[in-house]
Amino acid sequence: MNPWRQKMPLEWQRYVNNEVKVVADEKRQYQGWVYTVDPVSASIVLVNPQEDGRAHVTVVMGHAVEKVELLQDGGEEIAQRLSSLFSPDGVQTVSR
Amino acid sequence: TTVSASSAADAHGVALRDEQRARSLLRERFLRSLLAMCGRPVRFSMYEKVQVEAKFGASDIDVLNFQVSDLQTPIGVQKEALLRCPDIITYNFEI
Repeated sequence: MNPWRQKMPLEWQRYVNNEVKVVADEKRQYQGWVYTVDPVSASIVLVNPQEDGRAHVTVVMGHAVEKVELLQDGGEEIAQRLSSLFSPDGVQTVSR
Repeated sequence: TTVSASSAADAHGVALRDEQRARSLLRERFLRSLLAMCGRPVRFSMYEKVQVEAKFGASDIDVLNFQVSDLQTPIGVQKEALLRCPDIITYNFEI
């Protein structure tokens, strides 16, 4: 099992709302803001917001993750944007 | 002593609670991402440079299989299909 899958939830949580670069199997590279890391499969949900308010979502399967590099902290604005993208209409997040 | 043993147990309890909290937050978000994907066209990048597109339906709880519809493969369209998740490297969609 690769080192990424062996991390603990608190370690994965540190990546949430941060921009990362992920290197995956077959030398594929992805960049985006981390919405979450599934604690069951270790899959990383990356979001790239578009200018029209929509977003491009890429999920890298946990078993295929080779390396994850932290690029920058997204701060409160990105945190709000990410959580509202996936929340049902009318639901507002008041805490993290 | 008894005191240090119980404080160690307390510390363990706190660490466990924090870990469980992180686990549930991460998992809830992942389930929301699956919900957001339901009924949408999703592109799957598999091993050996295989790319397929399909309408996402459901995932099993361990994320081992995805149920999809209208799977577009190089040899035709499969009305209903299960994709084995270990064969997938990434998948992407728009929301």
